[in-house]
Order: sequence, then C-alpha cells, then structure tokens
Amino acid sequence: MTEDEVAEEIASGMTVGIGGWGSRRKPMSLVRAVLRRGADDLHLVSYGGPDVGLLCAAGRVRKVSYGFVSLDSIPLEPHFRIARQTGAVETLELDEGAFYLGLLAASHRLPFYPTRAGLGSDMLACNPGLRTVRSPYDDGEELVAVPAFDIDVSLVHMNRADARGNGQFLGPDLYFDDLFAMAAERTFMSCERIIPTESLLEEGPVHTLRIPRLHVDGVVEAPEGAHFTECPPDYGRDEAFQRAYAATARDLDAWDRFRAEWLELESHDTYRDRLARWRDS
Amino acid sequence: MTAANGWTADEMMTVAAARALPDRAVCFVGIGLPSSAANLARRMHAPDAVLIYESGCIGAKPGTLPSSIGDGVLSDTADAVIGVPEIFAYWLQGGRIDVGFLGAAQIDRFANINTTVIGGYQAPKVRLPGAGGAPEIAANCGEVVITLRHGRRSLVEEIDFITSLGHGDGGDHRERLRLRGRGPGTVITDLGVLQPDPETKELTLTSVHPGVEAADVAAETGWDLRVAPDLDVTPPPSDEELSVLRELQG
Repeated sequence: MTEDEVAEEIASGMTVGIGGWGSRRKPMSLVRAVLRRGADDLHLVSYGGPDVGLLCAAGRVRKVSYGFVSLDSIPLEPHFRIARQTGAVETLELDEGAFYLGLLAASHRLPFYPTRAGLGSDMLACNPGLRTVRSPYDDGEELVAVPAFDIDVSLVHMNRADARGNGQFLGPDLYFDDLFAMAAERTFMSCERIIPTESLLEEGPVHTLRIPRLHVDGVVEAPEGAHFTECPPDYGRDEAFQRAYAATARDLDAWDRFRAEWLELESHDTYRDRLARWRDS
Repeated sequence: MTAANGWTADEMMTVAAARALPDRAVCFVGIGLPSSAANLARRMHAPDAVLIYESGCIGAKPGTLPSSIGDGVLSDTADAVIGVPEIFAYWLQGGRIDVGFLGAAQIDRFANINTTVIGGYQAPKVRLPGAGGAPEIAANCGEVVITLRHGRRSLVEEIDFITSLGHGDGGDHRERLRLRGRGPGTVITDLGVLQPDPETKELTLTSVHPGVEAADVAAETGWDLRVAPDLDVTPPPSDEELSVLRELQG
C-alpha cells in the first residue's frame, strides 16, 4: 500500500491508535498522510509525541486519550501544550499504567480492566467517563475500571516487515505496538523495509517478530518513515529537526512555513528528497 | 546556597534521599534526582538495592548516570530486561516494589502530589508533564519518597489537582481505599525532611539540613507547618558521599 491509501481508510470522526512512545518509532509518514488527506474530528489514542502535536496543531483532533505527550528531549510537546492550555481538544488523561490497561482490555475484547492506581485522585473527579467497580468476591474491593479503548484504526511503524504484514522490531523496545495492533478493528503498518518472509530472521531472532500478519490489514514501505522520531537501530532521533519543529509552536508564521515545507507534500518520497536537501544545506 | 565545605542544597537533598533507601530494597527509579540518589545509595550503604527503571530494566547497575530511561547503560547492566507493560502489570500493580521515588510540582500537607496542571483543569494556566507512571507508584509501592525544592508555590495549602494520592484527607484514608502501599513516608526538600504524623498523616518537619532553622522552613511552607518536638539536624554530606555523587554526575 501507499501512505495515501492508508489515509483514505481513515474517515473524519474515527478513533485512531498510534504506536510508538513519545518521540520514538512513530509512524510519521502515515501521520503526515492523514494530515494531508484532510480527515478531521479525530480521537487519537497514543503514548503521545509529535504525532499528537502535529495533528492537534493542524486542527484535526477532537479528543486525545493519552498517558503523556512528550518529545523526550523536550519534555512537553509544545503544540499539544498549546492545544491543552487553550482547551482546543477534549482529553482523557490517564497515567501510563491505566492507559496500558485500556489497550489491554481492548485487545482482550473486554469492557474494562480494574486497577488500584488513581483511587482517591482527581483523575476520577475530572473524567466523568471513568467509573469504579466493586469486586464480586469476599474482598469487596472498589477499583478503578479503566474502559477499553474503542479504536477504529491503529497505525504502527516497524523496522522490517514482509509483504503479508508480519512486522519485526529491531530496537530496544516494542513499546505497546502489539497491543495497538490487537486493540483496533484494523491496523496499518509502515516499516523501514519490506523484505522476503524467509529473510525475517537475518537481522533479529524470532522474538523480534511481534506483530503477526493476522492483526495487520496493510503494509507500507516507508524508509525514514519514523523521521524525525528515533527508529533504532536504523537511525536515531533527528534532534535538529525536532528543535526546528518545536520552535514553530511559538510562532504562527513559522508554523505556516513548516506546514507548507514539510506537511503539504504530495508523498513521502517528496519529503525524503526535501530532507536530503535540508541536511546538505 | 553553598555551605562552607562546598556542598550545595541540591546535593544535600540528593544525599538525604539516598540515605532513605535501605539496602536490599527493590526501588523504582526515575531519571534525575531519584536516579542520582539511588545510584549513590548503591555505592554507599545499599550495594544490594535493586534498581528498576520504567523502561523495563530490573537490577540496573549503571556506572554513570543514564541520560534517559532508554539509555543503553541500563539494559547493558541489568539482571533482566522486560517490557514496559510488564513493569506496570507485574511489578507495580503486583506490589513487588518496596520504595518508589517521586518528584512533584506541588504537594499538600498530606503529601498528595500534583504533576498535572497549575490552574483549572479544563483550561490550565500551565500544563505540567502529567501523571506518567506516578499514580501507579503512589498506589502500589511499599513506601514513597518524595523530593522537591521547598517554596510556598510548591508546598501549598491546596494543590490544584491530585495526580498521585499521598495520604488523601489524612488519617486512615489510604486504608479505607484499600491501597496496599503505605504511601509517602518521607518528603525531602533542599531545606529539610518532613514525615507524616503516624496518626493524622499530616507532614511534620522532623529534620532540618545544616544551617537551616525551623522558622526558615515554616516561612517557605504554604500551610501552618508542624515541627517535631525532637527536631533533628540532617548530617551534612560526608566527603565520601559527596565525591561519589560528583563522580556519578560526571
């Protein structure tokens, strides 16, 4: 598939899960395609990074459910910070562990998962959609019931995949990408390189094959597809680019220029050409 | 503030936090001061402390301080490396962690923690980093050690948002919620050490750092601070503590 074909599958109003973690292995070429194709009113579910920031800054987001939204080397995603502080988006703000349980419940096709974290906190007071549940057993404990995320489409980025949709991560951490793939109705996966199935074990052991094709509805080959987030061992984070991106949050003209230069491009190939020129300059 | 023999208030805070970690404790460590304190403790009195980082590194023994939870020095020196989901499921929720270190933008007299917003929740004046994994640590670790710089804007009468529960409304609030962890046992600032009253759970000044008076601490606290009758003075950082800490921070 191409990025644009994936983006066509995402309609306005949908709930979109995005894999990766902060500014790490985010499916950025898919995110830019979604932005380009014009779907709006989206509900994003993400351990958020620039995926959330970009789509919020472009005005495509109704709601964000998140465990955090960070660029790692820049602790707070600046575009999301503005959206959050101006009340431009609805939020379901969970701690990272509760967020995990929302993904887990969805992947298990259960309505919720119970946890003790958050009892007595304002997480419950500020999120009327969150409820508690009482254990039916003798302990009678009251627990927070984290609702399953109802995700229409998940987007994840892997280091390698075969054409049938078996995905492989070669970096230090899968993060929660397997759960995003299992939690959603449909999942689309980009990867640095599509390789023959029989070559999948050349670069990593069988334990790195954590996204089986049964959970995947389409594969896109996208070299540098996670740029400017990191995608080890293929490449690290492009900190210079990330700083340039972050700086556009303080300046509307700079954001318009960034948008014209890097977002409103016809394809990921154009983006890569431009990136090569930017690095040379 | 720098004392005569050259240690700073931040170093005093880190050293005091290190001393709060018992040997053989299983400790959940965040980047920054907690990581400095836990690694200092491991080199001093707690060689068998087990440091757990959120990235999934169990028993990490870094020679230099990691720059982030994803730093390779953690996984390279760990007893085991598992995934982030397992950390939340089996280690935090499973109650396998003795001590968790937490920072805070604001705390109140019952050591409830705010890291979410300054101002109203819907349209905050300042959006802070958010919960991260802190509510899990606050709910589930055997004991919590909080570190933050002292000031009337950080130790306040009423926090703007309870992100991570300390002792709630005080007294037996945590027991009523049936939380398994005992909650914050120590709050360490750059001025002194506060600990909850055994009954009311209200934070009480139990120790001042060298050169600090109880009145100084009270003046920098946003509520009417109780002071323990047998107020201690924190022993200053020893030469060894200081040199190991500075070597770690390289």
